[in-house]
Parts: sequence; structure tokens; C-alpha cells
Amino acid sequence: MLPLTWDIVVQGIGEVGKLIFFVAVAVISLEVVAYLILVKWLKFKNALPFMLMLPALAGVAILILYPFGFNIYLAFSNMSMYRFKEFSVGWQYGISNLLDVFRVPVLQRVTFFQLFLRTFIWTAINVVFHVLGGLILAILLNRPMRGKAIYRTLLVVPWAIPQVIAALAWRCEFHYQYGFVNILLEKLGLRAVQWMSDPFWAFIAVVVVNIWLGIPFMMVTILGGLQSISPDYYDAAQIDGASGWQQFRFITLPLLNPILTPAIILGVIWTFNNFNVIYLVTGGGPMEGTDILVTSLYKAVFEFYRYGFGAAYSLVIFLFLLVFSVIYLRISGGFKGAWEA
Amino acid sequence: MRRVFVRMLVCVMLIAMIVPLGAFAQKNMTITLWTKESEAEGVLQEIIELTKEFGKAHPGVEFEVVNYGVEDLRQNFQSAAFAGAGPDLLWTVSDHAGPFEAMKLIKPVDALFGAGYIDKFVKPGIEAVELGGKVWGVPLSVGNHLMLLYNKKLVASPPKNTDELIKVGKELTKDLDGDGKPDQYALVYNLNEPFWFAAWMGGFGAWPLDGTEPTLNTPGVVDALQFVYDLKFTHKIVPMECDYDAADSLFKEGKAAMIINGDWSLSGYLTDEVKKNVELGVARIPMVTKTGLWPSPMTSGIYFMFPEYVSADKEAVIKDFVEYICSEEIQLLFLEKYMRLPALESALKSPLVTDDPIVKGSSDQMVVGKPMPTVPEMRAAWDAIRPNQEAVMAGKATPADAAKAMQEACENLIREMKK
Repeated sequence: MLPLTWDIVVQGIGEVGKLIFFVAVAVISLEVVAYLILVKWLKFKNALPFMLMLPALAGVAILILYPFGFNIYLAFSNMSMYRFKEFSVGWQYGISNLLDVFRVPVLQRVTFFQLFLRTFIWTAINVVFHVLGGLILAILLNRPMRGKAIYRTLLVVPWAIPQVIAALAWRCEFHYQYGFVNILLEKLGLRAVQWMSDPFWAFIAVVVVNIWLGIPFMMVTILGGLQSISPDYYDAAQIDGASGWQQFRFITLPLLNPILTPAIILGVIWTFNNFNVIYLVTGGGPMEGTDILVTSLYKAVFEFYRYGFGAAYSLVIFLFLLVFSVIYLRISGGFKGAWEA
Repeated sequence: MRRVFVRMLVCVMLIAMIVPLGAFAQKNMTITLWTKESEAEGVLQEIIELTKEFGKAHPGVEFEVVNYGVEDLRQNFQSAAFAGAGPDLLWTVSDHAGPFEAMKLIKPVDALFGAGYIDKFVKPGIEAVELGGKVWGVPLSVGNHLMLLYNKKLVASPPKNTDELIKVGKELTKDLDGDGKPDQYALVYNLNEPFWFAAWMGGFGAWPLDGTEPTLNTPGVVDALQFVYDLKFTHKIVPMECDYDAADSLFKEGKAAMIINGDWSLSGYLTDEVKKNVELGVARIPMVTKTGLWPSPMTSGIYFMFPEYVSADKEAVIKDFVEYICSEEIQLLFLEKYMRLPALESALKSPLVTDDPIVKGSSDQMVVGKPMPTVPEMRAAWDAIRPNQEAVMAGKATPADAAKAMQEACENLIREMKK
């Protein structure tokens, strides 16, 4: 390991400080320009809210809108390894790239539709277990009990560990001979499983890891929601003779909906696009058996240099998620309150 | 309010002016070097020290050394170079030369240094980065090849051929605690990784590419797949699952008699802690009895590559730095400390190479190795081999079917890459 010397510390602070300084200068300059235009020149009544939002809007534009626009531009190009700098852009390339997503095998063994189905199964299993696990744990933690803070801290540990470290640790635990999963199975009298050689079991392995990693987020989110429900509702229900299940069904669930809807949408998007866990635990293998859409997209772009195709492919994935989010919001009515307000 | 605002504005303007003025006042040249070397072996620290040493003779020249994993370095350099920025010098592996040359991101070095300088290096070292009649990297060290490493505490002499390997292997794979599972293995290596499989391919007279054409559906490839399948399922002398880390740990702990690993790993097996379990010996990977051929691990090396956008004034300093690092003295330092085989013809004749049994074993293996194809098509070959090799090693495909699938996949990938 490199020793941590004062030189390195000073250099690190200097670099971070420089960045903060330039960001501060940019924000102040932006605000000055906005002030001169909105307040001095246009004498705009709602200048202050606009000025307050401006840095965030600029950040979104630089970090999201520009890359997204550039991605669309690349989707209509023939950029590849052999046309890295001198690529052409045109409708014909865009159409061809988009069609290729569906008609050409994205990887060697699996096509887009197989990958889509696998991604769907991966997302559904993970999100269902995240929500169920998170809900059960949150309800348990929401009751009065001794040592609640300790339980809560321990349950959040998977979330607190950097995902890379957790995934690599799990990868070792699925080792055929030395991993604790197989040792446990053998102690229970079951046969050891070749987790990293058999595509089916490898898929189960990555699902287990991701469920383990994802439950704490849902638990914390739902716990926050549960604590915001007034106990008066439950008192009234108990007076009316409602059972525990009825209280859960008619009080807890409806009042959790505004919390659950964004959490589930986020959960679906994160899981659908979860690259880290699969890449670190199995690398998409064996036999491409654990590849999902995003890992295959990564391979297409960074291993095969198919930049135009990759950009079109990422647009298709984005559109799927957009359609899902819109439909889910309509059906669940999760943001109804926000719209009505 | 207005006064405060104006004062704030003046302060910001002043500071904004002072920062760039300070930068001008320094008049330093900072050279950004991206290297694939990490801290683990101590090579990164060594590089930093060498840049400081070089800086003493070149006042005003400073280096910023950044470490990336091999794949991250490739991807990050592509992205940075596309944006017209990035490092001034690359310290990386030979297989990056193919894609970087195709993307026009690096410049040839033969024109930069002259043929006289390039001729000082061993031929395979130069051939590994020769594309379109031009040389695209200056070799720091050659090799990067696999070899058979054995633990003399468990096996006195290494097997000479595959028949002997299997015979000895069955004796060395032992269930020591009687739980029905082996606790000591004869041989460990990264079973599912195509780079390891390529050595066996060579032993069966096959190779992934002929120029830029895939040659994966051949009897040699089928035989090689059958052989690695048999090691696992028929002779059972390798673990049921074994990736790089597992193989490395088993060997270091003295639970494996032999490992197939690269020259980069040698120094890791010579530490005091590992020496408690391992008395290291180095030999060629056993000859394939059926063909009478030595397995031919892919050879490559570590190279300096020059991004095409580097300015002329920086280039002159970088050239000096490359000549300094590639000098005989520094190459021998890397050999002594990190077991890296020098790329300079003269350094290879040093007693440090000829008299050390481990280095000698390594160079003896390199002689039968084959340069890794640098053409971009090799990328397609790797990715075509991997899932099909995995299928064979999981008992899910026959060697013949896997070889056929490899060929088809490779042809498809090359077609898509060229679209």
C-alpha cells in the first residue's frame, strides 16, 4: 500500500478544494446573470424561486440532459471501433441500429427477447422479495420491542457495505468447495451445488445476493412510512372490531401507497438496470446464463465497440422503463396526491 | 444588499484571476501516465519513485501516475481520447494495441524512436505490437505468459507430458480428512478462462485465429476441449470449480501441488509467508502426449503506448522517460524485484536471467509460447470461446458442439464489429 503522506493529503484537499471553488464560481456567476436578467431587466415577480432552482437545473442539464442527448445522437450513427472518430450520422443508421437490437443476437447465445424475459424475471423476483422482506421487517421493527435500535442497525448493514465488496464476498461464499452456502447445504444433508458452473444455479446465486442487498432500502423506506401513520386510525379500527389483517389491509397498505409507489418504481428501475451485482458475482456467465439487458449492453459497447448499436439498445431499454413507470403510476395512483395538489 | 452583492462579485472575480495566474507562474510540465500496474505487488510505488528520479534530472517535469485495471484502462482511455483529452502516456498490455490502432488513438513508435532503437528489443516483443507494418508500442517487459508452477514440497519433479500429469495427478489429489472430498489437488488453474485454454489449444495444434480468420471449429480445438473436460470429470485432478483467486489461494496454502499461472504471479509465491507452504519450482506446461507438442501459452508483454494527441514538447520529454525506463538497468531492476522478463536483447543475456532457476524456467516456457494476436478480431475470439468453454466445463455441451458454436459466434461477432 502507498503510505498516506502529508503530500498526498494536501494534494487531495487541493484538488477537491479546486473543484468546489470552480463549482462555487460557476453557481455565483449563474446567479448573477439570472439576477441581472430576471430582477433588473425583466423585473420578474417570481425571480427568487427561479434563481433558487437554477443551480439544480444547470446540474441536471449538464449531467443528464446533455449525455442523454448525445446518446440519442450516437444511436443514429454508425460509430464503431473502425469508425471511432470519423463516424457518420443519419436516419438510416438509427433505423438499422434499432432493428438490429431485435433481429441480431445481442450476445452469442442469447437474443434480445431471451434477455428481456430474463431481465423481467430477475426484476420481478427481486422487487417482490425486496418489498415483502422490507415490509415484514419494517412491521416487526415498528412494534415496541427491546433492543430495536440494535436490530435496525444490524438489518441496515447490507446497505451500508459498499456493493462491490459485498458482491465479491458473496462470490467467494458461492464457491463449490469452500463457500459457506455449500458447506451449509451439506450440513443439512443436501448436495453441494455448482453455483458458478451451472447457469440456473448461477442465476439463483445472483438473485440471492441482490435480494440480500436490496431489502434494507425497502425496510428503511417502509419503516419511515409506517411511522408517519397516525395511531389514531388503528385505535378507531380496534374500537370498530377490525382484525389485525383488516387493519393492515385497509389502513396500513393504503396509507403506505404514496411511499411504496416511488420506492417500487425506483426498485424496478435499479434492479432492471443492476449491473454491479451480476458483473461482480458471475460476470454474466456461465454460458451467458446470468446476463441481463444492461450487462449485454455493456458487453456490446465496451467489449465489441458497437457504439451506435449500443446507444440504440440503451434507448430501447430506457423506453421500456419509461412505459413501465407511466403505466405503474397510472394504475397505482401513487402520485395522485401530488398531481391534485 | 447591493453593496454586499458587488463586493462578493469583485472577490470572486479576483480569486478567479489569481488561480490561473498561479498556474502560469509555476511553468511546470505535468505528464499524466496511466498504468495498469497496481499497488499489490509494489510496482505502482516503484513507478512513482522512478518518475521522481526522472524528475530530478528534468527540473520542472512532474508526473501524475494513475492506476487502472487492465480493462478499465482500455475503456477509460477510449472515452477520454474520444473527448480529445486523457493521459500523455500509457503503460499497458500489448493486446490494447489492436483496438487503439483501429480507433486511431495511438501513434506508431518506430517513426518516433527510429529503427535502430526498436531493434534493441527481442523480436517476439516487437512482433506482438506490429500491425500494418508499424510498431505501436515500446516493450517494457516480455512474457505475460502462463507456465507450470509446482510446489517442491508436494511434487519433487514436474510431469513432462500429459500422461504423466494425469498419473501423478491422481496420486496427488487426496482426501486427507476422509470426508469424501479432496483436500489437496494435483493441479489448479482458472478452468473457465479462455486465456488458460489457449495454451492447451496450442498443445493440440490449434489456435483461435489464422490472421484475422477464426479457426475454432478444428479437430485440435475439439481435442483440447475434451482434454480439459477429462481433467475435471474423468480424471478428477482439478477442483470442480476453480477461478483465478481460488487457484491462487489453494496453491499458496499448499493445498495444490501445481498451478498454471503467469509470470506476473511469481513474486507473490516468493514471499516469506507463502514460502512456509510452498517451495516454488517453475517448468513448462507438460507436453501433450497425443500430439507431441508443447502447450503454447500466449505471450505478450507490457508496453509504453503514445496517444496520438500529445503535443510535440511533451512528446520529447516522454520519449526521454521511455528510454530511461526501458534502459537495461531499469529492466533488470524489474526482473530482480518483480520477476518481469526484460524486453531488451542485451538484458536477457544477463546472469540474472541465465543463473536464476525460476527466471530460467519462465524464459524456457516463453520460448514455446506464441504471441497473442493483437488484431481486434481476437476480442471476438475471446468472447466466442468463453461461454462455450463454460458449457463444456459444466458438462452441458460436447466438445464438438462447443467448437462449432465457438466458430459461428466468432464469425458473427467479427461481422457485427465491422458493420
